[in-house]
Order: sequence, then C-alpha cells, then structure tokens
Amino acid sequence: MAEIQARLQSLSEEFTKFQQELQTAVQSRQKLEAQKQENANVQKEFERLKDGENIYKLVGPVLLKQDKIEAESTVNGRLEFIGKELERTEDQIKDLQEKIEKKKGEIIQAQAGLQAGGGAPGKVAAKG
Amino acid sequence: MASGNSETINLDTLSAQQLSQVKKQLDEELEHLTSSFTQLHAAQSKFRDCLRCVQDKNKSPALRENNSILVPLTNSLYVRGTLSDASHVVVDIGTGFYVEKDIKSAAAFYENKVGELGASIKDLEAIVQGKTNNLRVVEEGIINSMRS
Repeated sequence: MAEIQARLQSLSEEFTKFQQELQTAVQSRQKLEAQKQENANVQKEFERLKDGENIYKLVGPVLLKQDKIEAESTVNGRLEFIGKELERTEDQIKDLQEKIEKKKGEIIQAQAGLQAGGGAPGKVAAKG
Repeated sequence: MASGNSETINLDTLSAQQLSQVKKQLDEELEHLTSSFTQLHAAQSKFRDCLRCVQDKNKSPALRENNSILVPLTNSLYVRGTLSDASHVVVDIGTGFYVEKDIKSAAAFYENKVGELGASIKDLEAIVQGKTNNLRVVEEGIINSMRS
C-alpha cells in the first residue's frame, strides 16, 4: 500500500518534470519560429534590393556597410541553423509528448492498483 | 500556433468537469490570441507612423533638405545640423540589418509591411471569432449539463 503510494508519488513527480520540459521546448520552438520569420523577411528584403541601395549591419552602436553577398550569406546561414534547431526541438517535443503519454498510463495503472488495494484513493495529480 | 484540431467531439458526451476544463483551455487560448492581436495592431501602427514620415504629401518636416534640425547626441544633449540628403533614409529591416533606401522605396517597404500585418490581423480575427464561438458553445453546454 505505502509502496504503491510512494511509486505514485515518484511517478507524478516525473510526470510534472516532463511537462515542464515540454513547456520549455514549446517556448523555444516559438522563439525559433519568430526568428525564422524575421530572418526570412530580411532575406526577402535583400532579394528586393535595388541598385544603389546599401546594406548596413548594426555592430554594437555603429552601422557598418556590408556587401550584399556577405549579408545574404549571413542570413542564409542563420536560416539554415534555425531550421536545424527547429527540427531538433520538434523531435524533442514529440519525444516528450510520447513520454508524457506513457507516464500517464503508468500513473493510471498505479492508481488502479491503489484502488484495488482498497481504501479511498487519494487523488494524486494526474491531470493532463 | 495551436494546430487546427479538426476532430469533433459531441459536447453532450462530456461531463461538467471535462467541459469546464475545455472552457479553461479555450479561455487561455483566447487570451493568448487576443494579446497577439493587440501586438500586431501595435506593430502595424508603428509601421504606419514610419510610412507617414516618408510619404510625400505629409512628409516629416525634418526630412526637408537644408532645414535646420537638432541631432540628439545623448538624451539631453543636442547639436544643430542641417540635412544634406533628404532623399535617402536608412530603414531597419530586422535582425540588425539596415538598408539605405530612397524615400520612395522606403515608403513602398512600409506600405508592404502594413499590408502584410493587415492580412495577419484579418486571419487572426477570423481565428479569434471561431474560438469565441467555440467558447460560447462550451459555456452553453456547461449550463445545460448543470440543469439536467
């Protein structure tokens, strides 16, 4: 009885830990999406660039003139990096979601075991 | 960002507790979407201000050539200057990049931005509307389940 309760306790702790991890992963995905959007906009703007329009890059407090090719490759590099990061976070999120589902199942099982063991089942946090 | 879940569930099959959970979730989503909505509006009006400054008909007086202006060196220190070139501006296009454009293409740039944001606002409006409808239906469901 106490054994199952202790197990349930540790399970729900793990569950909340996974949920927190999921939340941070979702947040970082959101941030990456925003960065991707911003960089894509800059890339589009470079494509629309007309002759005689100069590109400057903000370095600290000053604007430095920069080649179009150089600036383009910077942005392309960023987009590539962000794309990879996005993929990685996406995988992480999927992985965490699976883990959470599994833990949920385990918690339900443990609760059922507790109920079968008699006594009023103390409601241990198992809310999705 | 919330993926459009096209799955439909008959609300009658849900318990009052489940319904209130759904309502809570919808409330949160709606709050998030509404705050995005305000942010989009704020961004759009910022771009609109920029557009107003570079448009011909009501161009900012500071953008007139040989006009005397005050250039801020710090928050509280200014020097007098005159604009030697009023036909070009430097536009922030994001992620630390700036482009020197003539007035015309700067105006086009801002017009474009305002238009893009307007489209996003419209899309978001439709989504908010849909969510509000969902919320109303769920609330009705809660009331009904409390009656029965």
